[in-house]
Order: sequence, then structure tokens, then C-alpha cells
Amino acid sequence: MSKELNIWLDDLLNDIESVRFKRKSSRRVRVDVGSEALPALLELLQGRASYVHLSAITCVDWIDDDEFELVYHVWSYETRSLVSAHTRVPRDPGVYLSIYDLYQPAAFFERDIHEMFGLYFEGSPDMEKFILTEWNGPPPMRKDFDGEAFVNQNFHWEQYHPQWLKDIEEEGGGITTRPEDVR
Amino acid sequence: MRPENYQARNQPPSNEFELNFGPNHPGIEGNYAFRVKLNGDEVLSARADAGYLHRGFEKLMEGRLWIQNIALVPRICVPDPVPMEVCYSLAVEELCGLEVPERAQWIRVMQLEMSRLAAHLFAFGGHAATTGMYTPMFWGVADRDLILDRFEELTGGRVYSIYNIPGGVRREVPDGFLERLGSLLDYLESRLPDYDNLFFTNQVFIKRARDVGTITQEQALKWGVTGPNLRATGLEFDVRRDDPYLVYDQIEFDIPTEPGGDALSRNLVRRSELKQSIRILRQVIDRLPSIQGSIRCPIPNPLAWNVPAGESYARVESSKGELAYYVVSTGGDKPYRVHVRGPSSMHAVQVLENLAVGCRLEDIAQIMFSLDACPPEVDR
Amino acid sequence: MSDIPYKDKGSILRPLKALSFFARKPVTEPFEPRPAADSYRGFHVNDWEKCIGCSTCQKVCDNAAITMVRIPGLPEDPVLGIRNERPAIDYGRCCWCGLCVDICPTGSISLTTEYVHICREDELDSYFILPDPNGMHGEHFSKGWDKTEDADLVDLQQQPMGEVEAEQRIDNFDEMINGFTSQQAIIEASRCVQCGMCHDSCPTHMNAPEYIRAIWEGNAEEAVRQIYRTNPFSHVCGRVCTRRCETACSIGRRGDPVAIRWLKRYAMDAVSDERTREIAAEDKVDYVSGKKIAIIGAGPAGLTAAFDLVKKGHEVTVFEALDKPGGMTRYGIPEYRLPYDRLDADVEVITSLGVTIRYNTRIGRDVSMADLEREHDAVVVAIGLQEGRSTRIPGSDHKQVKKAVSLLRKITQGKTFDVPRTAVVIGGGNVAMDIARSLARLQKQQYGEVGMTVAALEDFDHFLADPEEITESREEGILILDSRGPKQVIVDKGKLTGLVTLGVISIFDEDGRFAPRYEERDEQIHPAEMVIESIGQMTDVSLFGDELTERLEWNRGRLKVDENGHTSEAWLWSAGDMVFGPDVVHAVADGHRVAASIEAYFTSVEVSQ
Repeated sequence: MSKELNIWLDDLLNDIESVRFKRKSSRRVRVDVGSEALPALLELLQGRASYVHLSAITCVDWIDDDEFELVYHVWSYETRSLVSAHTRVPRDPGVYLSIYDLYQPAAFFERDIHEMFGLYFEGSPDMEKFILTEWNGPPPMRKDFDGEAFVNQNFHWEQYHPQWLKDIEEEGGGITTRPEDVR
Repeated sequence: MRPENYQARNQPPSNEFELNFGPNHPGIEGNYAFRVKLNGDEVLSARADAGYLHRGFEKLMEGRLWIQNIALVPRICVPDPVPMEVCYSLAVEELCGLEVPERAQWIRVMQLEMSRLAAHLFAFGGHAATTGMYTPMFWGVADRDLILDRFEELTGGRVYSIYNIPGGVRREVPDGFLERLGSLLDYLESRLPDYDNLFFTNQVFIKRARDVGTITQEQALKWGVTGPNLRATGLEFDVRRDDPYLVYDQIEFDIPTEPGGDALSRNLVRRSELKQSIRILRQVIDRLPSIQGSIRCPIPNPLAWNVPAGESYARVESSKGELAYYVVSTGGDKPYRVHVRGPSSMHAVQVLENLAVGCRLEDIAQIMFSLDACPPEVDR
Repeated sequence: MSDIPYKDKGSILRPLKALSFFARKPVTEPFEPRPAADSYRGFHVNDWEKCIGCSTCQKVCDNAAITMVRIPGLPEDPVLGIRNERPAIDYGRCCWCGLCVDICPTGSISLTTEYVHICREDELDSYFILPDPNGMHGEHFSKGWDKTEDADLVDLQQQPMGEVEAEQRIDNFDEMINGFTSQQAIIEASRCVQCGMCHDSCPTHMNAPEYIRAIWEGNAEEAVRQIYRTNPFSHVCGRVCTRRCETACSIGRRGDPVAIRWLKRYAMDAVSDERTREIAAEDKVDYVSGKKIAIIGAGPAGLTAAFDLVKKGHEVTVFEALDKPGGMTRYGIPEYRLPYDRLDADVEVITSLGVTIRYNTRIGRDVSMADLEREHDAVVVAIGLQEGRSTRIPGSDHKQVKKAVSLLRKITQGKTFDVPRTAVVIGGGNVAMDIARSLARLQKQQYGEVGMTVAALEDFDHFLADPEEITESREEGILILDSRGPKQVIVDKGKLTGLVTLGVISIFDEDGRFAPRYEERDEQIHPAEMVIESIGQMTDVSLFGDELTERLEWNRGRLKVDENGHTSEAWLWSAGDMVFGPDVVHAVADGHRVAASIEAYFTSVEVSQ
């Protein structure tokens, strides 16, 4: 049965305009869709093709393209296959539509993406801070935020100077390459 | 929330209280908190408050070589670290098109089930403690320690085994390991009646846990519930069987379900899964010696490893539910993006917030432990 | 539905079951730390005898926990690829993943079964340790996570290099090494751990880690750019370099070194000659200095100096006695090892930058040194070692006793001579192999069979020629004899008929001086129509003329120069084989050194004016 459903899904997706569709394996499908058509696609997948489980929403910051990519992973318990719907939205102004009405788990993922990438989801139930309650900096998962530089600026590394090192320094040796030099 | 930022709010006199439940509270798993609104001891609403464990794993992973991340990922979930390693490795292997030797796949299954056993022992021990029964917790932790001994022998590390790398596993199974694992399984199986007597058929537990935090199957699907929690609503679904990875399609095991959807059912599912994991491990012990060959396919020099551009979504069934890694490569020596989808990011936030409404304060801890929520999966 | 009888309320006496637990053994843990498992990942130990200080552990460390510390007194030898550095570990950062163990090229570092360290807050320095073989607290703990074949992350095998089979190559001078495909080159380049031992050991300090990385990244142009930072004889060195880098390579400690020479060749072949010329010209200054420099000898040393100096805006003229450039790389190295068009490509890069080469111009005959001195601000003599040395054994003055270098030069120039049906080469170095293999090809072409014997003083354990040369020569049907010392050339009625050799007892005396001793009873006769001496070269310094020879300082017949090749005359430098040996890459290094010295001299003269 699930095989027939898969074929049916392939046909269905091939028929929708502005959708690029690629079957990666018997249980993995990649769909690329314009941001305007994504909610409709998900509605279709959920309502007519049994993709009721939202596994995750992933945001990828393609800073060179000035775009965020959103990937909606939806799973069907019936066809036992996972559709990953990819869409892209401009980084600026960074606003997109919530799919909370379709998939309630979206609330967590959308809140997380808003916090980590600064992409706002209109219609999402809660865009409050969650994990980074005390953070006033830029959304940290954006590619232009350098986490390591932030750490080096704000925290100090333990400056060890044990006796063995002093002895070696006395003989004319000592530290040549610190770990940060090779990173 | 840091203490210096906390300000008591003046509110009109009423029976309603706002209570900070956690982040340091025996009834909380890990460092995690709830802001609970109460009327007497009845919960009006609960808001999850995360961030106490945030270490920025996803960001860190973008700055590390592909292989270096194997030392990082198990830290995302302390009680059940192996699925993290395996899932990350599966995702990278898919990107590289690496064929993992069959022997390595069986060894991975072995670790995954050992880890599941250890995690479940931890989980119901924790749940017992929330209902005032400390002995099951002590027993669970002591028996888990015996599994950790085997982990130590196999991988060199007790908790963070850092044993799986993209391409396979890092070392051959030591001589005599399977026999020792076998006798451990015998011991653990002999303990199951003890656990039943002590906990699972104990009326104290049953009466406390029955009809607490009940999820209907419809709600479970709507809220994105997965794993044992989903199976406790009567839906027979398991990633191992329905979206198989490694060699799970060659292994016989049942998928235990319970119809109740409450805290009791969830624990009973885990209890039944202990038996299934032992069953799977026995099959591994039988099969592994006959599967010869290498334990790792050749991988490039880790310092000069460019993973082909692309993206992959790997899923495994962890002890807590559906664990997935979405990995993006742009062809470089480091991941461009790694997204960790932990099952607890549903269970510990939305599901718990929903379930808490209307329950009594003392049941919040119980519900949380019955969901086997792992806060670091939320924080990452 | 589960099979757990949780719905069964059971008997009221059930709690009494708990009494049975009084009879059970309690779970106890010993107070002492329990012994760890055999492959436990505890504190580090490092075998300082094995460790070469390559710092690969530092590069793989995911927590930035490893610091390299230089320790005076430990062995340090760039040629052998040993640094006197050892890793120190910050246990505030280490996570005991053991990747340092798995990637260590030497296998010196391992983790132990020791895992307890306790200190007070004021003893935090004890978190920073320098692992030695004794363990963190000097107590013996057995090794835990150690290098195993399964866990090894170092690729010990070189990519195979294709070469033309002996039967196909023996009757021609076509290039015999195929070179890497791009796929092979990327895989081979990816084996590199970027330790830089190659850079340290290379006479001209080529940026090998950088160009290997560029090749791995698929950027051959960047590789060529990195190569040209230090070596304008890149096609040549990519084919015939003596590759000290590969001796020093840390991967070579337990496996095959990275094929650095073939990678260089790959990069040079992958980029068009035209593009290479553009890349080489990138750092040429855009002004003219007005200084004129004469260089005598268009070999690697002279042309490298010319390359450097012309990029600084000087006017450089190279005087070459023969009609083609390259010196020994052309007239000494057979074409099957180095095709002439690749050498020409290297030289064209240099001439395209504005260097003029005047061929067929012999200094001392066509132009005098005095003229050069008068017309130039600086003169470099880089004429190499063009004369073969003689064994001076009886009969060695016969006309069929030839010098290897002269014969090789003849073959390159295409001059005809009577190819002997059988010949013996005296000597065991690469030049001996070159002439033996070249003559073998001519023999095959003319007579259909090879009749070459090589008689070397050294035994096979101490052979001077590269091992591949021996293997390949044998494949081509050449007989190689070790531990044979020449006694005399047999001349019968004015006709050379063979060579007599004796077994070698020892080559050097107690003081390490060259004084071979022979076993007189172990005599062999090698029938031959020609004997070729290949026991070393010397230089012809007649170009200086009597007056200048008198003025210059000499050291046992060799021109005396300082470490920068500057002679006792302020305007005169010398470079290459005639002052420093012994191979192309040393000559290139020498060319750079002399060019830098000349540049410094010009600057100092300007300052003093």
C-alpha cells in the first residue's frame, strides 16, 4: 500500500507548479518550493497525504545569498516516508508565516529559530525568548556571529605556569605554539 | 534566570501563586525550570523555562572538523549519549556515501541497545524518586553502572563513549566481551521480577501514576509526541522498524504498546522495552561472531576531510523518542549547519505545558519523568 | 498490552517479600579508585623517544587543549624530521576523546588507565601537564587507549604511481613516470597532516604544506603560486628532486611518506605554462633599479639567482657556454627522467620575466671576467661541476674509458658515438645509474639487447643511488654489482676488453677518510668494450684567468666563499654545485641565498653612499 501511496505522492508533487521534487530514496523525498506556496504544500501533505508528524523545522543561514533556508521535515506514519520541504526567505526583513495552525510542534521550532536566527514567524503563538533569556547580542546562530571570538573577548583562559614549564623556560625552551594559533 | 534579575511582583491578593519550579529541584530532570501558576495546589498553567544548559552545540559544531564533532555530540544527552553519536555519523555517512561494514552496524546496534537499557533504568528510577520511592532509583543506577562497565570495556569511556565515527566504530570488540555482556544480560533479566515487585506492580506507584498526564493518541500525534510516550497511547510505531537504519531490519523484536496514555502506561512501555532490548542484544551476541570483516570503512585523513556538498536527515529511535540530525555540507572540512532534533524538545516543552494544566503541583515532576524528558536536548 | 501484572493487587502479605532482600549482597563500591578497563581513556603518556614534535595531535584536538612546548636538550634535526617540541595538555579543556592517539603519525602518544587527579584551587597549575612516558603522577599505570590498526586515522599507503613497463621503456627516452591523475593527487594530498617537517628539511624551504593543501582543495593554481614562492625549477624538482622532504615526512615514520615530489609535479602539469608564467610574475616589482648583474652558467643555481634578481627590477644577463639552458639538469639527467620540454618551460618562466641568456658564450674565451666586472654591478659564477673525475687506475687513460658526465652531455646533444655492445660503469651514485640506463637504451635501439654492468664500491645497504633507480635498472636488464672496487682496465693490443674489480673490505679508514681496502683474492673480470667512470665531478675554473685567480681566496682547490656565496671580491659571488652541493634543490636554495646577498650588498652600498 505504501508503495502505491508513494507513487501517488510523486504524481501529486509533480503536478504542482513551482515545486521541484526529488526522491532521494524510498523513504526520503526532497521538495523545493517557493515561500509563498509552502504553507499550501504542507496543508496538502498533511490533509491529503497523511504527513501528520512534523519532525523538525531547520533554519540554515545562507549569508552569501542573503537568505534563510527553512526545511520542514514531515513524516507520514502511513506511507512511512519523510518529505523535506525546502524554501528560502530573504534574511532581511526576516519575517515568515507560522505553520502552527497546521502543525502544533511548529511552536517550539519557530520560537527556537526566532531566537537563534532572528527570523520572525507571524502567527506563531509565542515569539518570546526561551533559551537565551539573558542574551542581548545578535541571534547567535547567524553566520555573521563569531562565537569563538565572543568567547575569547568575554572569558579568560586559565594562564597556567607550572613548575615544569618554568624549568624548561630557564633552560631556554618554552611554549612555541598555543592551541589558538592553529585554529 | 539569574537571582539578581529576579524581582518579586506585587499582585492583588488571591489564591493564585506563581512558583519557580527548578532549575535546582529534585523533581526536575537536569537544569530546567517551569514557571507554574497555581491555585492552591492545582496547576493553572505552566511555562517551560530553558537555557540553563545551553552550550551552543549547533554553533560549536559549525566551527569544528567533521571528526571533531564526534567528541561533542554525546554531550547533548547524558543519560542516552550513543544515539547522538550514531545519528550524527549516519548523517555524515549519507553525505559522503560511505558504506559502513556490516560488522560495525551490528556493533552500533549493540551499543544503542545497551544505551537504551541504561537510559530506561535511569528513567524509571527517576520516576520512582518523584513518587517518594528511592530504592528503585538506587537499584536502577547501580544496575546502570554495570552497563557502564561494559561501555568502559568496549569504548574506553563510561558515559561519553565517543566510539562511533563516520564510517564505522573506532575499535574492535575486546576478547570475551560478548560473554561478559551475555552474563550481564542474564543478571539484568533476573532483576526484572525484582523491579516488578518493587515498582511496576507496586500499588503506591500505580495509584500515583494512573490517569496522570494522560495523552490521547490524537493529542500525541498533534503534539509531535514520539518514542515510548507515543507507544503508550497505543500507536505501534518505532523508527527502528518503520524507518529502519543499521541492521534493525534483520533483528526480531516486538514493539510494546499500552493503551492508557498516562504516566503509568509510559513506564510500563519502558519496562517492556527493557525486555526487548535484552532480546535484541542476545541476537547481537549470537550473530556478531559470525559477521567478520572490518569495523570501519576507509575514511580520509580527518584533518583534510571535505564532505561533499549536500544535506541529509538521519533519524534514530533513542530511548526518548525520535532523534534526528539534519546536516548540511557545502563541501568544506566543517559542517555548514547541524540541527539536532531531540525528542525532548517536544516532550519537555509543549507536551508538558499542556499536560500540567489541571494537574496537581506534586504531579508535575512525575509527568516530566514519565515523559523521560531530557532538557539538554531542548537547550542544545 | 504488557505482560506485567500491574493490575493484580496481590496478597496483603506481599510487602513481606521485601524481607528476602536482607539475604542479598549489597551493592558496594571500593573506596579506592577501581582499576579501569584495558582500553580506558585516562591521562596521557607520551613516548619522547618516538615523538617527533610534529604537532599533529594539536591540530586534531577538538578542545584546543594541546600546547606545543620546546624542550632544549631533546634531539632536533630538520633533515630527519625531528623537532625538539613536545605536546603539553590542558586538562581543563581535554575531553579524553583520544583523537590525538588515533592520529599521531608516530604512535608515541597514548592514554592510560590512570584517571584520578585531585587538587586545591591554588594548585590549578597542576591541570597543565607535559605527558612523558612516566604518567601524570609518576606512578605506573598500564596503557589504556593506545594506537591500534583499527583506530589509526593516518593513511599509511601512498597512491600508486603508474610507470611505463620495462619492456616498453627500454628502447626509448620517453618519460617513464606517468604522474598522478587529479583524483589520485587529491587523495594523496589529503594524506598530509600539515606538520611542516618537509618545509624544514627542504634546502630551499618550499611551502610544501601550503601547496599540498591547495592541491587537496582542488586549486592547482594556488599550489603553483605557493611553489613559485621558493622554487623556479618546479617542473625539474617535481620530477628529479632528491626530495629530502619525503625523508622527513612524519607520515613516513610508520608508512609511506606523502609523495610530495609527485604532487609538485602534478600541480605544475595541471596548470598551463602560460598561466604559470603569469603567476610567477605576480610579485615582480614595477620599477627598474638600474643595476646590472651578470650570471655565468644557466643552470639551476644561476637561473634561480637570475629569477630572484630580475623580480627586484635589476637587469640580469646570463652567460652560457653551451647552446641550451639548464646545465646539469639538461646535460646530466636523461630525458626519460626529465623531458626537455618541461625544463624549457621552467626556463621560459625565468626568461619571460626579462632575464637575457646569451648562449654559446664561454667566459674566459668569448668574454673576459674583467669585461664582466667592468660592465656589471655584480657577477655570479655558477658553472657547476662539468668535468668527471678519473679513477686513475691502470688503463684508465684509454680512449674507450669515458667520463659519465661527458657521455651524458653527448647523448643530450645528440652527438653520435660508437655505442658499445657491452660496457661497465664504475660508481654507484645516481649519475652512474643515469649513464648505465641511457646506454642501455641506446644498446637496445642499436643491437636489440642490453649489455650493461654497474660496479659500485658500496654494498646494497649503503648504496648511494635511490632504491627505485636500482629496481628500475634491474628491470631494464642492467647488472648491478655491489662492493666492487676497480683494479685495472684490460687493454689487449690497444683494444679495451674489460675491467678487473676486487671485492671491497672497507671503504673508509678509522678516521672516516676515503681509503678503500680490497680483498686481493676476490678478483672478477667484466668483459666490456667501454668503461665509464662515474665517481664524482669537478669544476674547471680556468675562466677566472691568472690574475683574478691570484686575487681570489681558495680553500683546497675550491673557491672560498662565505655562507652567502660571496667571494673575497666584493663584486663576485659564486653559487651552485661548484661551491655547495650536491643536487638541484640545493642549487636552487643557493641561487636564492646569493640573490639575497647581492640585494643586501646593493642596499648597504646605497646606505653608505
